[in-house]
Amino acid sequence: MQRTAHHDFARCKRLAAFVLLCVLPAWARAAEVHVPAVVEAGQAFSIPVQGSGQATFYLVGPDHVVKRTVSLGSDLQIQSSDVRTAGRYQVILCDASSSCTSATFEVKAAQPAHLSFFLHPSRVPVSTRDSIDAAAFVFDQYFNLILTPAAVDFRITPASGAGFSREVSTRRGVAWMRMDSTPHEGRVQVTAALDNVEEARVIQQVAAEACGLRMKAVASGSMVTLETDPVRDCSGNALPDGTVVSFTKVDKAGKSTVDTPIKKGIARVQFGVDGRAQISVACGVVLGNEVVVNGKL
Amino acid sequence: MKSMADNTLAFKKVSLGLVRTRLVTTRLVKAASFAVVACVLALAQSSPQIHLPQANLPEVHLDADGLTPRPIEELTGTTIARHYALAWRDLAMALESGQAGGLGEEFVGFAKDHLMKRITEQNQTGMHVRIVDHGHHLKAVFYSTDGSAMQLLDQAQLEVQTFDGNKLLDTQNVPHEYMVLMTPGADRWYVRDLEEVSAKPF
Repeated sequence: MQRTAHHDFARCKRLAAFVLLCVLPAWARAAEVHVPAVVEAGQAFSIPVQGSGQATFYLVGPDHVVKRTVSLGSDLQIQSSDVRTAGRYQVILCDASSSCTSATFEVKAAQPAHLSFFLHPSRVPVSTRDSIDAAAFVFDQYFNLILTPAAVDFRITPASGAGFSREVSTRRGVAWMRMDSTPHEGRVQVTAALDNVEEARVIQQVAAEACGLRMKAVASGSMVTLETDPVRDCSGNALPDGTVVSFTKVDKAGKSTVDTPIKKGIARVQFGVDGRAQISVACGVVLGNEVVVNGKL
Repeated sequence: MKSMADNTLAFKKVSLGLVRTRLVTTRLVKAASFAVVACVLALAQSSPQIHLPQANLPEVHLDADGLTPRPIEELTGTTIARHYALAWRDLAMALESGQAGGLGEEFVGFAKDHLMKRITEQNQTGMHVRIVDHGHHLKAVFYSTDGSAMQLLDQAQLEVQTFDGNKLLDTQNVPHEYMVLMTPGADRWYVRDLEEVSAKPF
């Protein structure tokens, strides 16, 4: 009987110790802090804190650190200026006994307010497949990248002909598209638009490679004058002045090449020939016709 | 004559004594210097308060499979991984020391502005943060056609300790995920934007 009583007493002691172990830490944690999981950038909010007395409050964010003394048992006001930058924020509350509790919350970007728009390249030949790339980064008013999907409208306005548009959804804050250049040379404006935000860039379309390059020869004694027809691409756009045309002559004296720029749409050159000469013309990677002088053309 | 010999003997004895004294003094100074150096080295190894600058860079693994719209060149990938590691080393050193001077080497734009502001405010409040960096898994997700910007996701294993003065306030040892924008400069890739996002596997 005495042995059973002793045993019960020991059990009671163990139970009391267990209860104390469970209760003491909770009692010591005077300052509880509960934060929202996600907050929109620039939105003020409050954090309810339990307990009583004074405590030191810390807020540590990507670009902002706050430390102030607060009264427990009332709400902590977080100003809009405290949470402008997206990212993870840490809240730490240390009471008078230097016991600290912490919590984290995430600040997400607000509504779209800025577009960072890249259009590449600045000059492009006409009618070239997949030659224009457009990429738009979407930011909020505090320049946080907006990671939730949003539809960006790319509006293409050529110098001549009808415009068109293409809608692309952002992925991790970026919308990009690739398109062919249009058939006519000149200025093409591409505008990226999202809600009321617009950003425009201009690209210059230039003539593509020469197409159907032809020259004619006019012989005069030992000299021959060579002149191309107006040099155009396959869409009929004139190649710009300054584009180099190469004339190559092969005669008894050997092989010689003259590079000459297009002026007013045509290229012209004069050769001295020694006997029968074979002359060819080329512009970039495009070969034109051949002529033979001092005999037959 | 005898007194002169005595004087010479006495002079020799004094000189010998002086030499012995100098030898002993030199040995004592050497021993003391050795003891001081040994103590400093032992302190540097044992004390948790002393942190020598990290010579080693954090481990960065870059995965650029399926990158669009432009594939990455091998040399570019190596450069990006190296400069991202340098950026995290500089960031950790700046947050712990409160000195933002080295940040301009690897950060530009928003990322640099945010860090500079944070370090200024940390210094004003007497706080600092120590980052124990266990490595980064970088996944390149966008590389613009003209090569002017690259977007990456970073899954980082970091232990973040927050201090007020010497008092440890909090330790966070959870996975972190960052959205990173890097842009090329004259001789390196800079971190232009570094934004922590909800951690989830990619």
